Amino acid sequence: MRPSQPATATGPVTATGPITTTDSAIGSATATATGAAATAGSPAEQGLAGLLRPYAWSFAGVVILQVIGAVAGLAPLLAVVELGRALLAPGPIDHGHVWSVVIAGAAGLFVRLVFTAASAGTGHVLDGRVQLAFRRRLAARLGRVPIGWFSRRRTGELAKVVGQDVSAVHPFIAHAPGELVSAFVVPLVSLVYLFTVDWRLTLITLIPVVLAVALVPLLMLPARTREQEEFDAAMGRIAGSVVEFVQGIAVVKAFGGSGRAHRAFLSAADDFVATFSRWVRGVSAVAAGMQLALSPPFVLLVVLAGGAALITTGGMAPADLLPFPLLGLGLTAPVAALGHGFDDMQAARRAVGRIRDVLAVRSLPEPAHPVAPRGHRVELRGVRFGYRADHEVLRGIDLVLEPGTVTAVVGPSGSGKSTLVRLLPRFFDPSHGSVTMGGVDLREIGSRDLYRTVSFVFQDVRLLRASVADNIALAVPYADRDDVIRAARLANVHDRILELPRGYETVIGEEAGLSGGEAQRISIARALLADTPVLVLDEATAFADPQTEQAVRRALATLEGDRTVLVIAHRLETVADADTVVVLENGEIVERGGPAELLAGNGRFAAFWRSHRSALADEAGTETGAGTETGAGTETGTETETETETETETDDGVSRGGEPR
Amino acid sequence: MIRMLLRVLGPEYARTLRRTVILMTITATAEGLSYALLVPVLRALLGDTPADAGPWLVAFGAAVAGYAVLRYVSDLSGMRVGTTMLRGMYHRLGEHLARLPIGWYGAGRVGEVSVMAGQGLLRAMSIMAHLLAPFIAALVTPLTIVVVMLAFDWRLGLAALAAAPVVAVIQIRTARSTAAADAEGHERDKEATGRVVEFLQAQPVLRAGGRSGERFELLDDSLRELRRASRRTVLATLPGAVGLTLTVQAVFTVVLALGAYLALGGSIGAAEVLTILVLAARCADPLLSLSDIGGKLRGARSELDRLDTVLRAEPLPEPREPVRPVRHDLEFASVTFRHGGRTVIDDLSLSVPQGQRLAVVGPSGAGKSTLLQLLARFHDVDAGAVRVGGVDVRAVSTEVLMAQIAIVFQDVYLFDGTIEENVRLGRPGASEAEVRAAATAARLEEVIGRLPGGWAADVGEGGALLSGGERQRVSIARALLKDAPVVLLDEVTSALDPVNEAAVHDGIERLMAGRTVVMVAHRMRTVRRADRVVFLDGGRIVEEGGHDELLRRGGRYAGFWEISASAMRTG
Repeated sequence: MRPSQPATATGPVTATGPITTTDSAIGSATATATGAAATAGSPAEQGLAGLLRPYAWSFAGVVILQVIGAVAGLAPLLAVVELGRALLAPGPIDHGHVWSVVIAGAAGLFVRLVFTAASAGTGHVLDGRVQLAFRRRLAARLGRVPIGWFSRRRTGELAKVVGQDVSAVHPFIAHAPGELVSAFVVPLVSLVYLFTVDWRLTLITLIPVVLAVALVPLLMLPARTREQEEFDAAMGRIAGSVVEFVQGIAVVKAFGGSGRAHRAFLSAADDFVATFSRWVRGVSAVAAGMQLALSPPFVLLVVLAGGAALITTGGMAPADLLPFPLLGLGLTAPVAALGHGFDDMQAARRAVGRIRDVLAVRSLPEPAHPVAPRGHRVELRGVRFGYRADHEVLRGIDLVLEPGTVTAVVGPSGSGKSTLVRLLPRFFDPSHGSVTMGGVDLREIGSRDLYRTVSFVFQDVRLLRASVADNIALAVPYADRDDVIRAARLANVHDRILELPRGYETVIGEEAGLSGGEAQRISIARALLADTPVLVLDEATAFADPQTEQAVRRALATLEGDRTVLVIAHRLETVADADTVVVLENGEIVERGGPAELLAGNGRFAAFWRSHRSALADEAGTETGAGTETGAGTETGTETETETETETETDDGVSRGGEPR
Repeated sequence: MIRMLLRVLGPEYARTLRRTVILMTITATAEGLSYALLVPVLRALLGDTPADAGPWLVAFGAAVAGYAVLRYVSDLSGMRVGTTMLRGMYHRLGEHLARLPIGWYGAGRVGEVSVMAGQGLLRAMSIMAHLLAPFIAALVTPLTIVVVMLAFDWRLGLAALAAAPVVAVIQIRTARSTAAADAEGHERDKEATGRVVEFLQAQPVLRAGGRSGERFELLDDSLRELRRASRRTVLATLPGAVGLTLTVQAVFTVVLALGAYLALGGSIGAAEVLTILVLAARCADPLLSLSDIGGKLRGARSELDRLDTVLRAEPLPEPREPVRPVRHDLEFASVTFRHGGRTVIDDLSLSVPQGQRLAVVGPSGAGKSTLLQLLARFHDVDAGAVRVGGVDVRAVSTEVLMAQIAIVFQDVYLFDGTIEENVRLGRPGASEAEVRAAATAARLEEVIGRLPGGWAADVGEGGALLSGGERQRVSIARALLKDAPVVLLDEVTSALDPVNEAAVHDGIERLMAGRTVVMVAHRMRTVRRADRVVFLDGGRIVEEGGHDELLRRGGRYAGFWEISASAMRTG
């Protein structure tokens, strides 16, 4: 069973010479289409070359070791040849010569062993170093790109670049250089040697190689290229349908009989297999032909038939035949090398492309002459912003956030609230207008200064797999334990922390997991500890439980004084606490003022409020019902939550719904 | 390895695979045997009567032709069988995935399975397909050649044969030691990936603390650990590769020396010795390629392992004689459910009379969502029984059970398609008017009005083009259209802004009318609509009763609301 047969089109498996190729199917699909041309000088490789320059000498070492080892591998074959000459020579046999030939052969083998092992060893060690360097460079770069850049990418994909993609470069580094070079050097040496022995038979020996190469154009016909494209497209459809199938499985099942995604997957798979077999049928005969041309029995047949002809028609000494069956097989190596590990190489090329893309991201422009903000009055002037050029999310925002006030942003989803508050920590720069803090444009404030001034609590809280204390003190690495505890108390999470196996030293995600609400409270504690003059808060909607709601309220209350607070409010209670309310709709501010004032008017906010008055009445009604003073609900903190909602899942929490809580 | 491949392929392909393997073995043997004819050919050519080579050469040519035919047939049949198998595997995996319980699909699984069913399957099949022939050839051809050598000169043959057991031992030992190193490398990989994800997600906070890439020790540690692991893998593979090379080369040297010795002693002709040495050289190369092929096979193996794990996950058993529940009251009878080594539901009993509404309240992690999932049989209970209309859900066929239940999840997944298609999923046979009515009842119309294509607007993959609240409304419309007697609601309104919340509440109210409802709730507004409330903690019912009654009792439930109530007082 070799659905991948065509792979061998350019990479026949000849168990000959220093190279033994076992490339896999799919890659060579592209191999046949792009041919050998793709191997050299593609932009990806140039990029790789740039990244690898510091290691040039080490690479040279690996290649030289490998070549010496591979060439030394010819010694035993030559020893057989010499042995033949000695034995076949007329007259008495020179014993001493025979033994020295045997010793030379053995020595050659030993050299080959030592040098190839050394080359492989250093190659892999070098590989480790290069990968570490790549990953560090990537991490450093990702540590400097604009935060907003992340929002348009899936964390899992980026993590894949740093992890798997760097690993995928392995064949490029550890195998390709040495093996490719020796795949050409060794046959070249053999060829030169064979020419000195008998040029006619050398040419005959090359016949199989020529035959195989002659077949290559047949694999690059337009029809083949088209099939290749269809093949890629069909693969893409499979990938798409499987994602839909798996992600929607709960819906598919819950709504019974439909089986829609399931069928879509199967038909995409059938499509793919059909394309695949069409393509296989197209190339299989040619590929099998190449395989045969390069197979050892065929090569030997050609060599021996040629040799027999040359010997019988005179002109060639029988002893001169011997090198050809021994070395001739190795001549196919370069053809084999073209297809060597093509799949891996293709994958590596794509991986390098992705690595380069990340490294090419421009970091957030740092001001040449950073200016420190004077005070923390925040002013947005004519701010416009869109994630895409054709679609503006914010359309001319003018807003002043006075120190010592809380400004609440309300509005329907999709109105641009989240985008607006993310301008303050400079996740994005506005496309028009400006955001200033203390009279200085954010773009002129150094990032360290900026982050010392602005802290934020967003909905998607991610905790690090580190101790609770470290998580709280993340922005203030050398904080006092007392300060950490004070912040945790304020954030309503102190008691919960004390219940963890090792209290503040408990490593989150390893020794204990926290629920979404608890994680949110940790993040509030973080912001309280950072104690910055400007706070941006996206009030929790998901995972909101009473304790977390209270934590948010306390945080807002504590932070009063001279602070500038901007909060996206989802709860009317929060809105009621604010000094100013801004109603956002479609990227524009449609109403602003104090909450009471807006309520008295009859605008959008009042409509909002009314649509919720019944709800509020509902809940306020319980106030009297629950009038009994049971000690504040800290006891509900006894939940034993082992599920780690904060764990580092790579899929941005695709379906939490499926997991039992 | 072959055994695992057979298991993954399933019984119907086992025979085909075996036939292909046999064909490949025959081809490899034919190659080795054809070399036997080299002996007389070379003897003639190197000896005094080169003209005698003619007939032998013709015979060799015939043998090569025979080999060519065999190889061509085995290659082509391999391809045909391969594609059929690929198709079969896709279907097998697809059917299997569709049968696995929803509970099996955790958060991490989705990504994993997507990759596996897309690229992974193809990779596993093609690597296997592509490596099998070379692997068989690399083992069988040298062995055949050694037999040929034995036939021509038993001493040299025996010397060559000495390599066989050593090669076997090395292969087995290397496989074992690298498996351990591979496993460790995989662990480190996962660990580092986790750190990277964490590093990326915590960027804002890390930057605020002045910790960029180089200075984030946790990440750097795991990156260095990764390098150490890869070094260990190299160290684990190197002895095997070196040992194999050493063995093969040592044996070749012995054959070379022995051949020279025998030839010098005159006990064997020069032509014979040289021919045997040519054969020995033919043996060495495939054997040396073994370590390379072995490494690649291990790579394929890990893919196969993953496939095998998924294919061996058990779907929930279907009843042999399914019962169709007539009523639709709900009951948990002493239910215990464990998941991931934790007791999520602990000996819990409760019942919901037909047409009544039950609210489930409790801290996160109390097992609230699990209750709903057990009702819809996403998982099977470990003890006790879950009954719908008095019938154990395990005795009801999946289709019938699902027809009884409409679920509105907290996270809504929409298929890439139009809004209408997504609503229609609730009841594919519904009429145009019914679909519209459901959409109106869920207040979807204003969403539809806002979108450029209206009804025909595409919602994007996973519904990405709609906001959370809008997706929620689509899912309510879907549930309304389905018109099932049992409705399960999971914290439906917790992730909504006020406008959406109002719209969703209206829809929910319509959805609940006249049906048996279980809802997980975080907001008092929702709870107050229930006939009865259970307060859950640690998988047990701590309190149950009416909302007002529980508040009066002043226990855990009252304490739970106390915070938000007091918060409201100050507001």
